[in-house]
Amino acid sequence: MDERKTVLLIDDDEVFVDAVSAVLETRYRISTAGNGTEGLARVHEAAPDLIVLDVMMDHLSEGFDVARTLRTDPATAAIPIIMLTGVDQVYNVRMEVDESWVPCDRYLEKPVSPEELLAHVAELIGE
Amino acid sequence: MAESRFAFIFAPELRERLQWFIKLRWLAVAGLVAASLVGPRIGMQSVWPSLFLVALFVAAYNLIFFNVFRIAEEHGQPYGNLRSCAIRQMVMDLLSLVVTVHFSGGLQSPLLPVFAFHMAIGTIMIATRIMYVLAAATSVGLLGLYMAEGKGLLAVHPVDPTRGMCGRACDLNLVALTVALFGIVYLTDSVTSRFKKRNIELYRTTGKLQERTTELQCLLDEIAELEQRKSHYMRISAHQLRSPLGTVQTTLSVLAKGYVDPASERGRRLLAGAIERVDGLLAIVNDLLELAKIREGRGRAPWSRAINVNQLLADIMDALEPLAAERNIELVPDFDGVAILDWGIPPDLVHAFENLVQNAIKYSYRGGAVTVRLRVNDTAVTVQVLDRGIGIPAAFRDQVLLEFVRAPNAKRHAPEGTGLGLAIVREVFEAHGGGVAVSSEEGAGSTFAVELPLHYTPPEARRLLQQGNEDGYRPHTAPAGTASE
Repeated sequence: MDERKTVLLIDDDEVFVDAVSAVLETRYRISTAGNGTEGLARVHEAAPDLIVLDVMMDHLSEGFDVARTLRTDPATAAIPIIMLTGVDQVYNVRMEVDESWVPCDRYLEKPVSPEELLAHVAELIGE
Repeated sequence: MAESRFAFIFAPELRERLQWFIKLRWLAVAGLVAASLVGPRIGMQSVWPSLFLVALFVAAYNLIFFNVFRIAEEHGQPYGNLRSCAIRQMVMDLLSLVVTVHFSGGLQSPLLPVFAFHMAIGTIMIATRIMYVLAAATSVGLLGLYMAEGKGLLAVHPVDPTRGMCGRACDLNLVALTVALFGIVYLTDSVTSRFKKRNIELYRTTGKLQERTTELQCLLDEIAELEQRKSHYMRISAHQLRSPLGTVQTTLSVLAKGYVDPASERGRRLLAGAIERVDGLLAIVNDLLELAKIREGRGRAPWSRAINVNQLLADIMDALEPLAAERNIELVPDFDGVAILDWGIPPDLVHAFENLVQNAIKYSYRGGAVTVRLRVNDTAVTVQVLDRGIGIPAAFRDQVLLEFVRAPNAKRHAPEGTGLGLAIVREVFEAHGGGVAVSSEEGAGSTFAVELPLHYTPPEARRLLQQGNEDGYRPHTAPAGTASE
């Protein structure tokens, strides 16, 4: 049985998911989902230790909705979430967005370097 | 008469003067009282109590005018009111003055010059025509007074009773005064009318200036809005480029930093993904350039005459037949009538119609049908492209013609696509004086309806026609589907 911790990647960009998986795989078990609905289902199957979540998928704020759903469910409320976003000032969503405003533990802007992502994941759940 | 049409310009001035006159009249009352008291001491017995009574009379009507004016002022006075008020006051003043003159020496009276003062003031305040009438009335009044005194109908009150009446001198006084009254009205008018005219001109110019200022402000607002839209559009475009660029960067750095061996199967997959994203980026950039060109009024080709829309659509359907067949989709032409456009840019029209038919095929289910329906009336042609495909969710229906808007079901059905195709389509048809509208039901299919006026002359063509340079346009010879440049 794999003793490594599990990271769930929810992002609709499969090339990005593939690249990020390649990095996180060096230390974690990876599970992936291509949209919010699939992601929520995967959370219950895979019981991840951490979720990396894209904000803009089918809908502009799909990531936010997923994060809120996870946070309001006692079974999933404790799972750390790293929110990734390509959304910048374009839709005036960013403002001075920080973790207190968005229901997540880290709010990172794409593009994100492999080292940076690894560091954040390690900080939240350890190796 | 210009003066009355622009009377409201002078109303504030007249109002101020009337108020001033009511104040000034109290001075006249004081003067009359003083004269009535001092006169007897210097030998003019006739002024007491006559001038004192005149003073009371003037004071009484001044008080009435004062109150009427004040009450009217509370309701806001139109110019007409102010002027009739001025005329009434002038008539009363002249009447009082004639009575005063009678008691202070008739045509010997030292007060005769006061008439001149009234004429000048009246001409400034009231209309010149009315003052001519009043000048005439005053002259006649004085003549009447003079005759009545001469005939003994009225008592004579000479300035110096010891010397008696003036005789010939008084005749001349009357003539001179009459001439003076008219002369003063005339002279005053010639001076003030110029000012009045200038006032009217100034008012007109100010009005025009204000109109221009409003127009300019509107234009500025429009430009500001346009600028804002442009900036918004630029940000959205940049964002659309940034997303795939971010993926390319992450992918390449994963490979470069050795997390994945580029030669491995996964490495090759990541590189292929990055290339795919770059291809997407290029497609977006090309479409953006295309869109910019059409917006700047530069089509793929010059405007041509007599564009046969039926032929154009038939060519497009022939060209797309293999794509439709591959997806087992039937292309159904439904043409009724022949549509010839006066002017058009054939490659642009081909590109736009092709895009619509291609979309209809792309978003249809296998085994479906795409109908291209053409109808013509005297002024316009309508082309409908109907499919029974995935349709457009209600929330996106009004937006799919905008840049970078793709409904989620469209993205799932056909992941590639810049989100600019329909924006280009819209621009092309708008450049041809027409437009495109969407109706759709999610899951049931979509209809894109294009309407083009048959007799639209684009500004570019109009310009050249005016220069008599119609030959500058090559007739349309390019076959359909030669859209690329």
